[in-house]
Formats: sequence, structure tokens, C-alpha cells
Amino acid sequence: MDATPAVRLDGVSKQFGDSYAVHRLDLDIEAGHFFSLLGPSGCGKTTSLRMIGGFSDPTEGAVLLAGEDVTALPPNKRNVNTVFQSYALFDHLSVADNVGFGLKRTGVAKAELRQRVGEMLELVQLSGLADRKPRTLSGGQRQRVALARALVNRPAVLLLDEPLAALDLKLRRQMQVELKQIQREVGITFVFVTHDQDEALTMSDRIAVMNEGRIEQCGTPEDVYEHPASRFVASFMGTSNLMGGTYRGGQVALDGGPALPVGARPGIADGTAVSVSVRPEKIWLSDFEPGMSMLSGVIRETVYSGPTTTYLIELAPGVTLSVLEQNTARARMEDRWSGGETVEFGWRPEHCLVLA
Amino acid sequence: MTLLRLPSSTAPARPAARTRTRRGRADRRPRILIALTGLFFALLYLPIAVVALFSFNSKKSLTVFGGFSLRWYRAFVHDDVLISSLGTSLRISLVAMAGSVVLGVALALGLVRCRTRLGSLAGLIMLVPLVTPEIVTGVASMLLFKGLGVALSTGTVMLSEITFSISYVTVILRSRVAALNPEVEEAAMDLGATRWQAVRLVTLPALLPAVLASAVLIFALVFDDFVLAYFTTGVDPQPLSVRIYSAIRFGLQPTINAVGTLMLAGSICLIALALFIPRLFGRRGGLDILSGE
Repeated sequence: MDATPAVRLDGVSKQFGDSYAVHRLDLDIEAGHFFSLLGPSGCGKTTSLRMIGGFSDPTEGAVLLAGEDVTALPPNKRNVNTVFQSYALFDHLSVADNVGFGLKRTGVAKAELRQRVGEMLELVQLSGLADRKPRTLSGGQRQRVALARALVNRPAVLLLDEPLAALDLKLRRQMQVELKQIQREVGITFVFVTHDQDEALTMSDRIAVMNEGRIEQCGTPEDVYEHPASRFVASFMGTSNLMGGTYRGGQVALDGGPALPVGARPGIADGTAVSVSVRPEKIWLSDFEPGMSMLSGVIRETVYSGPTTTYLIELAPGVTLSVLEQNTARARMEDRWSGGETVEFGWRPEHCLVLA
Repeated sequence: MTLLRLPSSTAPARPAARTRTRRGRADRRPRILIALTGLFFALLYLPIAVVALFSFNSKKSLTVFGGFSLRWYRAFVHDDVLISSLGTSLRISLVAMAGSVVLGVALALGLVRCRTRLGSLAGLIMLVPLVTPEIVTGVASMLLFKGLGVALSTGTVMLSEITFSISYVTVILRSRVAALNPEVEEAAMDLGATRWQAVRLVTLPALLPAVLASAVLIFALVFDDFVLAYFTTGVDPQPLSVRIYSAIRFGLQPTINAVGTLMLAGSICLIALALFIPRLFGRRGGLDILSGE
């Protein structure tokens, strides 16, 4: 395994006036990975990407590509290519000339250029459209041209700035799968910026969740989803039941509610204000197992949405949990709970996270 | 601020108007407006039509039409002074066009990209030549050249015409530059182009329709310009407009009609060209000369 990360950000900051868009970021991206920078708008993910690409100079810190410090190099001297959010295609050039633009700049011989452009157009399934102008293509096709134009240069790292944001839902799903397949096929490190947590979860090898210019958590999709390291990550990744309370001796006294047994948490001092987080799909409404944390509450709302049903359960006045039940083949219609009923529910202790 | 909006840019409004007339409102169109419109066009174009007609007169009279003849065109072609003036005017127009387009495009790029207080001040100052009376610009240019001890010549006309025309180019190009997606230039640099290559290979081609439109406009403006040319030209050779003016002082020759008609034909060709330019780039609809859209 190659020990040198494909991309390393070493204490990188970007300051605009008094405020930090990116604050002292340390990040290693392993070669060959599909890496996502995930966060809400304004969290600094695009700024970080632009600093890797060379479009924005860090005010502090260093950017390293394959171990080499490229902080002072302009974009055309860096072995990375970018797929822009707007695609940024050259409207006056044909699809083939768009894709061949980078190869032409580096002086690749004509015959090789034509062959590589042809192969790349085949990879993104645009072979028949080589002579068309970008203006005449659909959104999905333009997206593929942008991808081909960047990939054909065989960069060490491909940067993608919310490339799927402009596509409709169905096409976006399809492109997610395709993009992941293409990444596996070419083996190039992808750094993918998105605000869509589903997209990040389905495509990435690793995800860095960003907030206010800092990385809140960096890990595999399972890590980030199952073991969120902060309240922000827990609420940003999917839905989570976040309940504020005070930790004391293996229990969390919920604000305005009962005390939840959460087990001893070394590292959290008694009297610390914490949040308890339980994912809706980790809460059981039946078939309980020994050792579960058990509670009871009143069903306030039932939201049926096809494959799943969501129950809103009031634990105490002002403390409501949402619970997600799969409508599996074995679950019967009459087994569903209805509003006003008092139910027992529980979760395995490991699914209850205490976030300081 | 539309200086010259060529007709087909109003095309989208037409279908709506047509539906309305189909609903039987044609008879309610006030006749007085039709008459006024007719009068307007008559006043605008009749004098020009008279000039064109009398350029084909076989007689020397400017009031009696004797019959069709190309006599005055022949006289023009053999008039060395007028021909050399025409050549001078074409030279001035071409140089002024090239000079002001290069500088004007550069200024437009600079003004849009440089977002400092000084930059916006420059953007305002840039507009001053558009509202300055031309005679002031003319006298000022003449005094400047005299003060610097530069002899007036074709070269001084070119310099002042370039100075005067830059604003037009910049005003046309500025909105186009502002509408460009900055990511496109970044994409070019991302793909290995230097900053200058990115401008040359990506930005300028994107601006080409507006650049050509402004070039045509500047050529036409400079070619018929009289005031600035009058104040900054030397004695010989003189631009055509100045030459015609001095010729008129010694009595009107029908040759002038022929020259005027040829200039008119030239202008029509230029405007046709300006209309045709956007078609070359696969855009539908007309071209707004001022915005280049």
C-alpha cells in the first residue's frame, strides 16, 4: 500500500477578511479512494476543493499532492483536474475538442489524442456525439462531457464540485452509480464535494463531514453514520433523535424527561450537558431482546410512506422520538400502531450515543 | 440605453400582436398613428432617397432629373482627390476599429474583473466620452496635439478616433464579460492553459460575437465621423467627410451625391453583416448592437 497520501492538507486556512472559510484543516486522502467532503453550504468544502485545485490560495498552511508541496503552483502546473459545478464547458468547441483540450495543451500527438478522446467518450457513453456543440446536449450529457474532459488527462486526483447538483433526482441516482463505476475502472482518486448525505454515503470510501470551516469527523460511511462524533454530524447525517440532558453516573437525565440509562461513559464528567442520539431505525417496537434499554411513550403521529412507517412517540411532555419501522413482508397491516396508544419501545445500548 | 437596436430583436413580441389582430381589433388601429409613422419615415428617408436618385442624374442640375446615367459615378472614380480621401477614411476607420476594439475589450475585462473602488471609478470615467459633446472632444484633441507640438495628420485623426471609440466597445463588451461564467476560464487553466492562453482560447472566443458587432459599429461610426476628423486632420490627405464638407463650400457637385449613395450602400452592407454575425454563431434572433447579445 502506498503510504504517501494522494492529497494532504497541512494546517490549511482560508481567511476572507476577518472570517475563516476554512480553519486549520488537516486532511489526508489516500490514493485510489473515493473521498467526499460533505457539509451544508458555507461550510468550506468548496473552498477546500478550490485550494487543492489551485484556484484559491490558502492564507495559511500547505497543500501537498503525492507528497509534493504545490501550495505555490498555479492550476495548470498541478496534476489534478476538476469537474465544475456549472460544468464550465467550452461552448465554441465541439464535444471532442472539449475533451481533447487538456491533451492538446500538454502537446500529446494528434493520433494519440484522437484515440484517447475516443476511448474516453466511449467510457462516458458519448461516442455518437463527438461533433456536437455542448449547447445542444442535455444536462446529463453535458455532465459526462465535463467528466470526460477532466478524466482524459489521467490526473492523479479528480476534483468534483457538486457535479450532480443540477440533475433531476432520477438522473442523479443513475449518475451516482455510474460515477462510482467509472472511478473503480480508472482507479483515480476522486475528491467529491457534496451537501447531499445520501450521495456521500452511497459513493464514498471515506467521508469528511465539514462544518464552519472545520472537519467534524472523517471516516468510512458506516463510521460517520453509525458513530457520529458530534451533535452536528449526528443531525446532519440522516435523521437522529437528539435529546439534550445532563450526564450523571451512567445515566442521562433528559431535559424535561426521564433519566435514560446509557451505561458508564469514561471521559464524560458527571454534570456535563450532553446530547443523547438514537437513530429512528435503531428503535424497536416489538420482539425485544434481553439487555435492551426499555422505555414507554404515547404514539402521537403515524406517517406511512410505502416501505417504511414513521411513528412519533411522546416520551414525556416536550420530548418526542421518531421511530422508523420497516413494512417488511412479515409485518402485517393490523400489527401497525395507531395514534394515542401507549407503547413500549427499546434499543440496544450500543445504538444510544452520548455526544458531549 | 439602447443606441441602435436592430429590427429582428423585437421578433418575440410579434406573435402576440398577431393574435390580437386576429381577434378583430385591426380596424381599431388609429389611422392617425399610421399617418404619423408614414410621415416620420418620409422625413427620415426622402432626403436620402433624393440624394440617391440624383446621383443617377444625367444632368448637372440638382433639381431637375434629366435621365438615368452613371456619369457622376464615373466622375467620382476619376476624381483623384476624392478617391484618395476615401482611401484615407477607410484607413482611419480600420486602424481606429482595430485599436479601439483591442483596448476596449481589454478595458472591459479589466473593469469587470477588478472590483476595487478605483476600478468602479474608472468604469464611470470611461463613460464620459459618450456624453461629452463631440465638438468639445474635437477642440480638446486639436489643442492637445498643438500643445505637444504634434503636426496634425491622418495619424492624429486615428489617435483621437481610437480614444473616442474605446468607450463604445467597452460598454458593449462589459455586460458580456460580466455574464461569462468564471469557471470556464478556470476550467481552461485546470486543463493546462496559462492565464493568457485561457483568455485567448476560451474567453475571447466566447466574446467573439460581441467583439465583431462592436468592430462593425466602430467602423461605421468612425467612417462617417466629421467633427473629430475636422479638428484633428492635416491638410492632405483629408478624410472623406472633411473633403466633402470643403467641396460643398465651393459649390455643390453632383459627384457628392454619388459618393453619398455609395456610403449609404456600404452602411447597409455593414448593418446586414452585423445582423448576420449572430447567425454565424448559431444564435437565433437579432443582435442588440449595444449589449452584443
